Amino acid sequence: MRRSSLAGRIAFNLLAWTLVLLVAFPLIWMILTSVKPQTELFRIPPSFWPTEITFEHYRRLLVETPFLTYMRNSIFLALGTTLLVITLATLGAHSLVRFRYPGRERLAQLVLFTYLLPSVVLIIPLYLLMVKIGISNTLWSLILAYTTFALPYALWLLRSFMAGIPEDLEAAALVDGASRMEAFIDVILPQALPGIISTALFTAILAWNEYLYALVLVNTDSARPLTTGVMTMLISAFNIEWSLLMAASVMMSLPLIVAFAFLQKYLTRGFGAGGVKG
Amino acid sequence: MRKAFGAAVAVENLDLRIESGEFVSLLGPSGCGKTTSLRMLAGLEVPTSGTIRIGDRVVNDIAPGKRDIAMVFQSYALYPHMTVAQNIEYPLKKRRIPNPERGPKVAAVAKLLHLEDYLARKPRQLSGGQQQRVALGRALVRDPAVFLLDEPLSNLDAKLRAHMRAELIELHQRIGRTMVYVTHDQLEAMTMSDRIAVLANGRLQQLDTPAMIYRRPANRFVAGFIGTPSMNLIKGHFELGRFVAGDWQLPLDGLDLDEPTSEVTLGIRPEDILIGAAGQPARVKLVEPTGHEAIIQFEIAGHDLTGRVGAEITLRAGEPVALSFRTTNLHLFAGDDGRRLNKEV
Ligand SMILES: Nc1ncnc2c1ncn2[C@@H]1O[C@H](COP(=O)(O)OP(=O)(O)O)[C@@H](O)[C@H]1O
Ligand SMILES: [Mg+2]
Repeated sequence: MRRSSLAGRIAFNLLAWTLVLLVAFPLIWMILTSVKPQTELFRIPPSFWPTEITFEHYRRLLVETPFLTYMRNSIFLALGTTLLVITLATLGAHSLVRFRYPGRERLAQLVLFTYLLPSVVLIIPLYLLMVKIGISNTLWSLILAYTTFALPYALWLLRSFMAGIPEDLEAAALVDGASRMEAFIDVILPQALPGIISTALFTAILAWNEYLYALVLVNTDSARPLTTGVMTMLISAFNIEWSLLMAASVMMSLPLIVAFAFLQKYLTRGFGAGGVKG
Repeated sequence: MRKAFGAAVAVENLDLRIESGEFVSLLGPSGCGKTTSLRMLAGLEVPTSGTIRIGDRVVNDIAPGKRDIAMVFQSYALYPHMTVAQNIEYPLKKRRIPNPERGPKVAAVAKLLHLEDYLARKPRQLSGGQQQRVALGRALVRDPAVFLLDEPLSNLDAKLRAHMRAELIELHQRIGRTMVYVTHDQLEAMTMSDRIAVLANGRLQQLDTPAMIYRRPANRFVAGFIGTPSMNLIKGHFELGRFVAGDWQLPLDGLDLDEPTSEVTLGIRPEDILIGAAGQPARVKLVEPTGHEAIIQFEIAGHDLTGRVGAEITLRAGEPVALSFRTTNLHLFAGDDGRRLNKEV
């Protein structure tokens, strides 16, 4: 029994590692390229390991380009969107789960309905809206735009988390003398925390990686996030700055990798909740 | 008061007056509106119509936390992220009781309920009985005017349930507070209550002491619901001082009716069936000994009757017997709505 499963295990591991390598190779290539000197880039045959390691591309990126502005914008966007979406979605999900009012179920379905529209068709109306309320071409317009597609998703994810919290807990808090808001903060929020963290992560990743809205809604460097900023800065019709692009990509991925490493367990839990109930 | 959820009426015309310091049970089958009634008392549900008073204050529009009540939930509803001590302390905190006063109160309640060793634990690290005591502690710590308990023992195993029943009775005697106790278990209601309110289909059937509920059930439902084994209920007619059901006739002298009716249901408690030398001929169908007594299924003129006899009487299935009845203990209910017809003397 053990002996036969040993062979099976080896085969399984081999397969798994092959897959991991396949997925990881572009990432490794990205890191290696970012530290290769320009001269080594187009050598034929290509070298895998750099013969010489240089951080020149990183220096140039940080000092000579608006990269840091883009980075700051991206962080602001991710945090701002997440904060707004989580605040609205926790309160909204709580209402959808707990309060009784006519059309509650219909409302929840309607929220999901916005998903059926491809985001491209919303861009122009959104842009016109931003112009009307006077925030076009700012980071705020992007936060608002990201909220429109992150909120429905967050609502549904949190709704399934909150539906799992026993109703009696809140009732007990009310009887114990808490106001509705106090009961929500003292009892519901701590119970929903894992769900909130995973939803926050999803939202932050969504905002961090968004490209299309950022491309269309914003066209000043001061309000450009990393995704579109790096593209416009390093890729032109005539030339692609490979070294800088790779260095920029490494630095863009870093925050996400760190977040994943620390909060992985919440993320997988979020996938579970979404899959089963959402 | 009345409570409807949309078209479904959960509680209809409930009119209850509970005396201060009393232990009253709301007893009834599952789904009859007990929890809904209790939640209305607590302020967690809004009555569709009617008024609720606690003391002489109308509390309809008063928030649950301001009604001077405490509630123990069937699910206990302990706050999972708080320790036992924090759970018990929570109501004090929300009532803005200053910090230095809270500690001693929590300690006193923990001592009363033997929870001293568990104060630092989280609820999930406790057994069912301990969780139940924490829920009780959270209610006790505030010293409220009224305790509302929703089937607090139903999640415990039989042995622990009997133990906690005794503890609750003792607790009620010690603190002398009004308690409203919801249960579907007649044994709990009968043993603990000063008075029992029997509910069915959202309506109050009878409100009386356990003894009166047993001896003088107000209607056919209460008669059948209270008592194990349950009362024999036989449909028939009442003519010329005798009860007639098919081939069976039973003279009912000494039993006066409130009103002349013909369609009736006769109710006989199992212990009011007597086996003797004289009486109506019957046959033993089945014997179920329980140790100190035996439950017997009789057949009399085509009707099945359940009786209960002491263990000293040995009967075998198939054996012929002579049955007589304690006529003064028999019950007659109206054939239509099941109300009690006996004239009380
Ligand atoms: N929130 C609700 N919405 C709709 N119907 C309810 C709700 N709560 C209770 N009911 C209905 O009201 C009736 C009484 O319920 P409940 O008070 O919980 O009964 P019990 O506690 O006696 O078992 C049941 O028929 C139940 O289905
Ligand atoms: Mg109930």
